Amino acid sequence: MSVTQPPPVAIQAHGLRKSFRIKDQAVEAVSGLDLTVTEGQIFGFLGPNGAGKTTTLRILTTLLPADAGEAFVAGADVMRSPQQVRRRIGYVGQLGGADGSATGLENLLLQARLYGLTATAAASRAKELIELFDLGAFAGRVVRTYSGGQRRRLEVALGILHNPQVLFLDEPTTGLDPQNRANLWNQVRQLRDSGTTVFLTTHYLDEADQLSDQLAIIDHGHVIAEGTPAQLKQRYSGDTIVITPAELPGSLLSLEQDLATAPFIRTAQIQDGSIRLSVTDATRSMAAVFSMLADKGIAVRAASLAQPSLDDVFLHETGRSLRDAGEPVGGAAAKKQAGEQVAA
Amino acid sequence: MTFALQSELFFRRKLLETLRQPVWVITGLSTPLLYLALFEPLLRSVAGGSGLPAGHVLDVFVPGILTLMAFGAGMGAGWVVIWELDSGVIERLRVTPASRLALLLGTVLRDMAMFVLPGVVVIGIAIGFGFSAHWAGLALMFVLLAFFTAACSATSSALGISLKQIGSLAAVVTGVQLPLTLLSGILLPLSLGPEWLRVLGHLNPMYYTVQAARDLGAGTITTTTVAIGFLVTGTAAALALWWGTRSYHRAMT
Repeated sequence: MSVTQPPPVAIQAHGLRKSFRIKDQAVEAVSGLDLTVTEGQIFGFLGPNGAGKTTTLRILTTLLPADAGEAFVAGADVMRSPQQVRRRIGYVGQLGGADGSATGLENLLLQARLYGLTATAAASRAKELIELFDLGAFAGRVVRTYSGGQRRRLEVALGILHNPQVLFLDEPTTGLDPQNRANLWNQVRQLRDSGTTVFLTTHYLDEADQLSDQLAIIDHGHVIAEGTPAQLKQRYSGDTIVITPAELPGSLLSLEQDLATAPFIRTAQIQDGSIRLSVTDATRSMAAVFSMLADKGIAVRAASLAQPSLDDVFLHETGRSLRDAGEPVGGAAAKKQAGEQVAA
Repeated sequence: MTFALQSELFFRRKLLETLRQPVWVITGLSTPLLYLALFEPLLRSVAGGSGLPAGHVLDVFVPGILTLMAFGAGMGAGWVVIWELDSGVIERLRVTPASRLALLLGTVLRDMAMFVLPGVVVIGIAIGFGFSAHWAGLALMFVLLAFFTAACSATSSALGISLKQIGSLAAVVTGVQLPLTLLSGILLPLSLGPEWLRVLGHLNPMYYTVQAARDLGAGTITTTTVAIGFLVTGTAAALALWWGTRSYHRAMT
């Protein structure tokens, strides 16, 4: 008789909380966060700047003690046995962390010795990584002279040097050009294929969408949606219609609000000259929208059914677009209570 | 064993970093030599006057210069720590199993070395100018002042980690430097000053280091002053190392 076993878990967190004092005011960066990451996956942690991604990552990597809650990473308790966690994880922070005044090779050798490799073993491991990440041309140079892409390659090499079970990457592609970004994505996929669990934070929608096997969206310190990118987009978005008017009227805000209160429409958003609608019934809402636009004297140039994006998921959950979530809430998108009930 | 190895690894890293920036090696040496060349003639005219110990002017002056060198060698640590915080180096090292004390000691040991090496050169030159060397006393003086460098270095690292900004660190260090050095009698003995100044001096831990260094420089080893100097300086170093290690445990940008 075969019993289906739950997949082995690489990261498990319950009720994590962390607040900081900023100018005598307690700001809760992480507020009751739960997380489960299955082994051998690329887990994307998506959210706008300031959502609590980095704080969560710092708690999971033993850099920061949580105020409350518990977390297990690679089988060890983050709070009670941080040393065990440190042996089993790799970390590439947002700031990078390569030592600018040492050469790439020196960086690799020191890191190897810190994980307990002998001088000989460290040298051969460094050699392997220099080949794997194609660092040979500049490994003997001081890191300060590296380009952004070279530096990032070295830093990822430092992060995986000891073959960690779980690798944490904090916004790894920020500041990289498209080619280096694509290279890094490939390296991350290869690591996953060789059995490493990769936990990666990002505020790029396409990165979360294309790279992650599993995804959690975080906002205001807790997870608001979880699943595979495909599941999330299907579950939350329903149909999405994009209408391109011949000419947009002056008052975009009132148009957005009017559209959002129309029947069968959950959210409306005007972006780059087109109107993006998340709807519950494409056919019937289309008719309603066309007649409303006709009433307002707005001619329609094109209308199409669009693939829902992760931004639609975020928009649905928070009423804001992830693209401008750093800005004050409201205005950019309008949300309707009734729509939420229909979607549920 | 691992701890000793890690400390050595971090020490070598820091030493290499210093040797790659010869500017620091040069200024570390040129400043005390300038003191010798420019301040000594000035002091010579007041030597033998009231309040100043008898003997060759260099015998009074050299222990003070060395204490200043020990102070300077240690107090620079915080600047590099802030730079390492900003570039994520400390964060990366904190995720490895490396000991935080070893991490701190890398810098502290480097600073001790960067005090002792130029210090020996300065002694050599001072002897040429008439400084009378008492070898056992000198050796002990270097040990004492190396502890003092350790205290300064660990304090500077801890300050750098808590202040996080180069500007704030500079303000604190320069703000503290003047009263601390003046009230220790480093360049001019406090006995020249009024009563209240001497009282203030006794509240300054650095005062006891300087007093002990003077005794040791003169070759008198078994005095209470020397014992108190070692006790105060050693305690300061231990406290600073504890503070520095604690700071590394929490270091965050």
